[in-house]
Amino acid sequence: MSRNSKQWTQKPNLPSTHYADPKIYSDPAIFEEEKEKIFKKVWMLAAHESEVANPHDFRTYEHPGGTRLVIMRGEDMKIRTFYNICPHRGNLLVYEPSGNAKKLVCIFHQWAFDAKGDCVDIPRGKAGYQDRICESDVGLREVKTEVGYGGFVWVNLDDSCAPLSAHIGSALDYMMPELETEPLEVLWYYQATLRTNFKLIHDTNQEFYHDYLHYHNRITGMLDPKSGYFQRRYTAFPNGHASVGSMNVSYDAYTGSGHSALGWPKLPPNGWKLVDLFPCITYNLRTSVLRIDSYIPLGPDRVLLEFRILGLKSDTPEVRKQREKDAATIWSPFGRNLHEDLLASSGQGMAMARGSDPMYVLHAREEDNLIHDEVGMRHYLEEWSAWMGRSSSDSTRKIADSKPQATAPAHQEQDVAQPA
Amino acid sequence: MNTDRTTVEELVYQTCTALDRNDYSEFLGLCDQQFEYKVTAFSPEIRKDMTWLDHNRAEMEELFHTLPKHNSDHAPLTRNAVVYKVSYDNDKKQANVVTALQIFRTNLDGGATQVFAVGKYYDTVSLDQDKPILVKRHVKLDTRDLGWGNHIPI
Ligand code: FES
Ligand SMILES: [Fe+2]
Repeated sequence: MSRNSKQWTQKPNLPSTHYADPKIYSDPAIFEEEKEKIFKKVWMLAAHESEVANPHDFRTYEHPGGTRLVIMRGEDMKIRTFYNICPHRGNLLVYEPSGNAKKLVCIFHQWAFDAKGDCVDIPRGKAGYQDRICESDVGLREVKTEVGYGGFVWVNLDDSCAPLSAHIGSALDYMMPELETEPLEVLWYYQATLRTNFKLIHDTNQEFYHDYLHYHNRITGMLDPKSGYFQRRYTAFPNGHASVGSMNVSYDAYTGSGHSALGWPKLPPNGWKLVDLFPCITYNLRTSVLRIDSYIPLGPDRVLLEFRILGLKSDTPEVRKQREKDAATIWSPFGRNLHEDLLASSGQGMAMARGSDPMYVLHAREEDNLIHDEVGMRHYLEEWSAWMGRSSSDSTRKIADSKPQATAPAHQEQDVAQPA
Repeated sequence: MNTDRTTVEELVYQTCTALDRNDYSEFLGLCDQQFEYKVTAFSPEIRKDMTWLDHNRAEMEELFHTLPKHNSDHAPLTRNAVVYKVSYDNDKKQANVVTALQIFRTNLDGGATQVFAVGKYYDTVSLDQDKPILVKRHVKLDTRDLGWGNHIPI
């Protein structure tokens, strides 16, 4: 039966954890609040160490808190991160996304900075500033940086944040053997700018019910009773993270997949492990390729998706070529699955745009935490509500103070079986 | 060996119009049995070439065959190509062709057109038969942010 206006917008007769207020996906004020309360305080995955492999290599990152950053490896091999802002008159220090420079020299008036963020030259400094300002007064703003969980560079704008390990907890434990056996290397980096809310696309990584969207996944997983697909189980971790148990992907079922038997150290052949991290990072290891998603919200209805595809640093050119080929079938901009995921998430963004009178969004499937359960999205929004101090099912309702990450006690791990 | 530049140019343009119409059998009819197809892009962010599609003829045929089973953007793509350079290899009886490429996407709803991608075709064309045949196509893309992407080779 179709519904009238009142029926369409009334709250579902479900626990409030099982639906979301659509305003959280389109309201500009909520987006600004997310920047302040979440993105300026949470650990974000900004790059991989292989992107700054050598001393003086640098790489930029557009932080979702709103600040442009530059990541740089020092002579001491330590990776540090700075605001990409020249402290003189606020020019961009680095214009290119990557490079190698002994010193970062601002093009404007040639102030120079070393890889520790110290100002090392002010042209005609003494003549203009006498003793009022000297080099030691005008260093770069350094941002908390840690490298880990597969050699990724993580940054946090909040100087008083807790260490990265406190944020990740045990969420990545079941993937650590695969992540840390050998050094990794980025094979692809690409962006996609979409007109949607970042939580909608992150949700798409957190629910597998949408395998109905993917012909490739239906046929290589759901249709093969031996694949273990329907036994995949969610494990919810503190701080809004969740993992999905491993399975065997039946690539033979998809003619033309061209998928190799290459594999990945420690991962069972044709295995697939996935971990979603709060607020919008996903580790996705599928047979021979690691895909890392790290999303940069640009507005309530705009997001820049960063995708990285990784292989092993020790790969020969032939092996690397095969890994790229394996990734291309499903995950390149021309890949079978990625295009479908991005179409669906963009469709949500279009349909539920501000002012479009959307209904409450259902997150209500319960299947004993197995693969088509929507517990991943529910667990995420519980964390989102804690950080925002705002209910995700009724965005006008304030709840206890927002969660300052450094001091908040971690939620208890939910009583869910460990991934297979 | 047929070194008539016009027939080589027409081959390149016909591959574009065949793909524009999603006429995959016409496209494959212009390609050799040993056809190789590749899409790459250089990333200034990581300073590496990335290979986003890499198919032989059998894999191209499978790709075209499975396309209708997927959910795809059906907005038409229009390829605008200009052949920049044709150089001949007399020993191999082949031409190497460099073509500038712009691809436009036209919305089904309303018909607004936007640039989807720019890049170049690096083609190898066999001139050993009465008609030129496409042996190898390497698409080098300048555009890397392709929005929600696409399923159809470009
Ligand atoms: S703004 Fe950078 S040196 Fe003046
Ligand atoms: Fe998907």
